[in-house]
Amino acid sequence: MQKSCEDISEMLVDYVDGELPPDKSSEVAEHLPECERCRKTVEALQRSLELAGVIWKDGLEEAKGIQVPVPVKARRVRWSRYAAVAAALMLVVSSAIVWRVVVSSKEKEPTVAEIEREISESASAAQLLAVTDLLAQYRDAGAIAQRQYQYIVERYPGTAAAAEAKLRIH
Amino acid sequence: MNETNAGFGTEVDQGVSERPSDVVRILLGQFGHLKRIIAGMGLSASDAEDVLQDVAIQALKQPGKWRSEEEGVRWLIKVTVNGCLMEHRRRRSFRRRASEIMKRWSETRGGSKGPGEKAIAAEELEMVREGLRELDGSLLTPMVLRYFCDLSSTEIGQMLELKPATVRSRLREARMTLAERLIERGVGP
Repeated sequence: MQKSCEDISEMLVDYVDGELPPDKSSEVAEHLPECERCRKTVEALQRSLELAGVIWKDGLEEAKGIQVPVPVKARRVRWSRYAAVAAALMLVVSSAIVWRVVVSSKEKEPTVAEIEREISESASAAQLLAVTDLLAQYRDAGAIAQRQYQYIVERYPGTAAAAEAKLRIH
Repeated sequence: MNETNAGFGTEVDQGVSERPSDVVRILLGQFGHLKRIIAGMGLSASDAEDVLQDVAIQALKQPGKWRSEEEGVRWLIKVTVNGCLMEHRRRRSFRRRASEIMKRWSETRGGSKGPGEKAIAAEELEMVREGLRELDGSLLTPMVLRYFCDLSSTEIGQMLELKPATVRSRLREARMTLAERLIERGVGP
């Protein structure tokens, strides 16, 4: 018995992905020349995945540059200290940003998006600095920590954490 | 794409109990894969960095919680996906406009397309970008893991604690949702 268009359309994704058993795949293949709607769906399924791939690959290019510090030798990490350092840095950074926003408002009004971005970057830089400070305490991790400090300086210029990181570069 | 594994956990040494130094090794070995997931989930570089740092901190906080390397890899992927989903729910994913993506894309392809064709592709790309942005996390995650990370439905099911049939069903729904966007707008390939 010939399958209805509705039955066929339920198999189209698996058909395009090549995951249908041969007999089902043949049914779809026989139906397609007769049905413009299903043909268009197949084309749209292929096209949308192709374009999603373009978007994903573009994101991957950006993500490739991300560096994340990880201790080379595991040992007990004093998380309370990490939290305290991060909190202190966050406080300093937030105060500096608020001060800068208030004081410089006469010169140029920053947009909400700019403030949000600045806070977000300062927070990321502070977090990275705190983790790198921890990393610097590990034996044999000096070179990695130095690279991380350099990264903070280059990636987050103008932040308090970048200024701190600059001081730690030998 | 075939149902093949693109290297996620390919160096998995099953049954080996994990020591603190193993956590670091597994973590370092998986960073490339985790970056791929994060990119697929549409996070910006700074959000991606935050998610990766959070994953690293969570992993290092509790050494000894993984019974095998395979479990460690699954755990890392799961925590990364959860971090990405939080950003996705906050509408912070897929924020780069299609025009920016198109510009970089055409540069890498050497500008081989004509202006008319580029305009159509940019419009289509924007629709798909919006579609990915608006997809529910339960549909986006399997789609990224399957079509961008080349994991099989079974592997995705293990990571997300779903049956393979449920994964397939979600993949179908996600694919049809994106395809319908193109069909509704009448933009053909």
